[in-house]
Amino acid sequence: MSEEREKILEIKDVCMDFKQKRHKVVHAVNHVSLDIYKGENFGLVGESGCGKTTLGRTCIRLYDPTSGQIIFDGHDISGKLTKDTRKFLTSHMAMIFQDPIASLDPRMTVQEIIAEGLHNQGYKDKAQIDSMVKEMLNKVGLLPEHATRYPHEFSGGQRQRIGIARALVLKPEFIIADEPVSALDASIQAQVINLLMDMKEEFGLTIMFIAHNLAVVKYFSDRIGVMYYGTLVELADADDLYVHPLHPYTKALLSAIPEPDPLSERRKTKLYYDKSMHDYSKEKPSLQEVVPGHFVYCSDSEKEAYLKELDS
Amino acid sequence: MTFYEDNKELYDSIPAEKFQLVQNNEDIHDAAFRTKPIGFFKDVWLRFIRNKASVIGGIIILIIMVFAAIGPSMNSYTYTEQHTDLANMPPKVPWIAKLNLGIMDGHYTLTKRQYDNIKDTSKYPEGCILKLKNPRIINGVKIVDVVVDYYKYKGLDDSQCYWLGSDYLGRDIWTRLWKGTRISLFIALFSVLCNVIIGVIYGSICGYYGGAVDMVLQRIMEIINAFPRIVVLTLFIMVAGTGMFSLIMAMVIKGWIPIARMIRSQFYRFKGHEYVLASRTMGTNDQKLIFRHILPNSIGPVITQAMMAVPTTIFSESFLAYIGLGLQAPNSSIGVMLSTGQKVLMQYPTQVLYPAIIISLLMICFNLFGDGLRDAFDPTQRGVS
Amino acid sequence: MDNDTILSVQDLAVSFRTYSGKVQAVRGVSFDLKKGETLAIVGESGSGKSVTTKAIMGLLAKNATIESGKILFDDHDLVKYKEKDFCKLRGKDISLVFQDPLSALNPIMKIGKQITETLVLREGLSRREAKKKAIELMEMVGIPDPETRYNEYPFQFSGGMRQRIVIAIALASNARILICDEPTTALDVTIQAKILDQIKQIKRDRQLSVIFITHDLGVVANMADRICIMYAGRIVEVGTADEIFYHPAHPYTWALLSSVPDLETKERLMAIPGTPPNMVAPPEGDAFAERNKYALAIDFEQAPPYFRLSDTHYAATWLLHPKAPKVEMPDVLKARIARMRQKAGLDNE
Repeated sequence: MSEEREKILEIKDVCMDFKQKRHKVVHAVNHVSLDIYKGENFGLVGESGCGKTTLGRTCIRLYDPTSGQIIFDGHDISGKLTKDTRKFLTSHMAMIFQDPIASLDPRMTVQEIIAEGLHNQGYKDKAQIDSMVKEMLNKVGLLPEHATRYPHEFSGGQRQRIGIARALVLKPEFIIADEPVSALDASIQAQVINLLMDMKEEFGLTIMFIAHNLAVVKYFSDRIGVMYYGTLVELADADDLYVHPLHPYTKALLSAIPEPDPLSERRKTKLYYDKSMHDYSKEKPSLQEVVPGHFVYCSDSEKEAYLKELDS
Repeated sequence: MTFYEDNKELYDSIPAEKFQLVQNNEDIHDAAFRTKPIGFFKDVWLRFIRNKASVIGGIIILIIMVFAAIGPSMNSYTYTEQHTDLANMPPKVPWIAKLNLGIMDGHYTLTKRQYDNIKDTSKYPEGCILKLKNPRIINGVKIVDVVVDYYKYKGLDDSQCYWLGSDYLGRDIWTRLWKGTRISLFIALFSVLCNVIIGVIYGSICGYYGGAVDMVLQRIMEIINAFPRIVVLTLFIMVAGTGMFSLIMAMVIKGWIPIARMIRSQFYRFKGHEYVLASRTMGTNDQKLIFRHILPNSIGPVITQAMMAVPTTIFSESFLAYIGLGLQAPNSSIGVMLSTGQKVLMQYPTQVLYPAIIISLLMICFNLFGDGLRDAFDPTQRGVS
Repeated sequence: MDNDTILSVQDLAVSFRTYSGKVQAVRGVSFDLKKGETLAIVGESGSGKSVTTKAIMGLLAKNATIESGKILFDDHDLVKYKEKDFCKLRGKDISLVFQDPLSALNPIMKIGKQITETLVLREGLSRREAKKKAIELMEMVGIPDPETRYNEYPFQFSGGMRQRIVIAIALASNARILICDEPTTALDVTIQAKILDQIKQIKRDRQLSVIFITHDLGVVANMADRICIMYAGRIVEVGTADEIFYHPAHPYTWALLSSVPDLETKERLMAIPGTPPNMVAPPEGDAFAERNKYALAIDFEQAPPYFRLSDTHYAATWLLHPKAPKVEMPDVLKARIARMRQKAGLDNE
């Protein structure tokens, strides 16, 4: 069914290795393939160090992928970038960062921060830039007079909204939101999530939402990919993943989420995941489509077991 | 804790119209700030002035600089003017002498004088004797130590005096001291400025590009760092002669290395920061990233380190002058004065005292000032109280 | 102070001197901690929850002053304690687990040494006894192969393991109160789940009283027997976990509950507009009024008293006054609570 939808980003067998001292290599992203369709919210979830942030940063070319191919809107953006491709990439893809303090330059005013992208894209008319910045500030719920202020004067939620304004000022089609709410207080998270929802509606965005909190990802996303140590272990529609999690790691993740409901918390049994429960000595695992639209990283015999599990 | 039940009557007496929803349908917006915007440097300034010690340090540095600028022209002497007949005069400031504090009144103790000659005005001019000390009899002769106003003893009147005394060639120490401070400060500030410029450029390149570029540049730096400074200085003196140029070159040849190292590590730190990454995702070029984002944020510690380097440089200059590799006569610098004063330390301690006070003050104040600057520039303190 | 109460905080007010003025971080907080219960203090950053516990431990920063109030522990008023007295108290009677396990451990000291240090110093055990007890403790907090790990350094441990060590150190002496200041905020959910289980287990075994500080409502639901909701230096609502989650009465609690999604949320989240007030000049009246959709005129003039909802449930909001209009909690929240009750097999009332 999803074949007919237009793909905006195709990640094909991407690896991202980091060389460390003494010739150690860390495989932060290990042969990940996935497609993101136009207009959807794609959630990427996993624990710290699982490579989800690296994958996001590789997509926007903060890192150069070790191998594999990334196709964005028909342009191959994985190799060496030509000037035109880079310009296309920077104006059509944007990123929202995790840390609302570290992601804004403390020496620049809000106006300068938001306008930077416009300057880079060659906007010259000062009045036009000003009005675009004011409009953006207004959209994220800040006042025009906030433009002359420095980031440290704002609260965490406000700073994150400035980050969103910066990402959106170039009117991109695709946004990578890297843990945009995890550094915020619970009460402020909703502000930012709602804002992202509104902006998506208004600008027709496609959003790749990276987070470790499955509840937030589940709320926000249409489809979810679960990563574990650099590998994509499960990929499914959000509701499907929640109702029928197949990979044991996904199940552990789901059971570990504390929910604001004391009664169900008290009777919840927690599942723990141990990598050694898989026996991959005979069959090599790969990402397989167990039922249409629901991919699991498993071996053939595991696939059989998962199918049985779904039937029962 | 106040409970409704505890004071029911009072709470019930509140009129009913107070209990109305007042912003049910309003969109509640972010409040505008009531305070004025505080820019980065204003914020730094606000935090700096809270540190009393560094403010005092800064003020003292400023005073010394002002004197270094105007001091030499405050009296009629020039720094090269010699009066060999008035060598090693003690310090005298007329109005302080009048206060009878026993300082700066031109006093000098002549030891082992015959008591009988005291009244002899040809030996001791009218009114020059301030005090007699230690009367004793040696070989049947009555001997005393005579504290005299040395200026009157030499037959000078109040109009001519050396405020801080004169040196072995009869040059005014006041004039030479401030002239020397001026030169020392100039050498220090200028060489530190050169160090900062070279260090920042070199370190930025190392830190921003990293990898092979960094590798090569680092090795070059290590080689330069291995030259002994005295040897370099001697070579410069051979080529360019003694003087300021050689001295400054001696300071600069290795002085930029710590700054370059610091900038390099700052760059390594900041180039992975989220705001730099964010800027990169929006297509900002290298040049803008370096000068707009990374450098302004890493300059704080550099300013501090440069401030700390100033007294060290003054001290090295003094050291070089002291061992005879510094400025040559008739030029003056703090180091030159210390080294000439040291030769007569036992007889005329004031000749060392004043340059020593100035160099100590400069060292302490620049350190305090640099400390304050470091705290003020500390990014983690930003916006904190 | 009745027999069940182990710690009682009464009308505590703490302020900080800063150069923009006096920040009134805590403005009259009162609560009792009963034996063997877990009391959760919930609030956003800057609500004064950490300051309150720091006051209990005598760990306030130098520019802080306790303006008024009492902290009664064993009939002693901790407000009057000197640093020397606190040294005896900390670790022995009251233990603290910080948010960041890395900064709480000495990086150049072996793990075993760090645990036994307290045992040797406080309990007067010999080295050998202390080691035995330390290994027991490490086992208790779920560290596999404690004998080997005893001789390792903090950097050899993962974040979750380190937090367990911190908990082991906190439990090394037989403290009666354990204060956990966001102990799992920096950790991954699966590790968080393990640590929370561990704390619960130990609490049961040892009859510990726990003060649990967090802003994560899910964690609160998991851990707490009773809950204090703090906003702008005051407790706005206090009640048992069920009362707070299923019968919240204060608009701030409503907003807080409806602003976090659970796994079944589909509706638009209720965001709390605006930002918390500046505590240098806290607003007169109810501090939450400015951001509150249900604010009454009186909210801007006079701070509300606590209205009693049950023996254990109090809320400070004028909405509970007999003259106030009847306002119901937001529909989103109502729907969610109904859903939760259904899931739990309870009938709708």
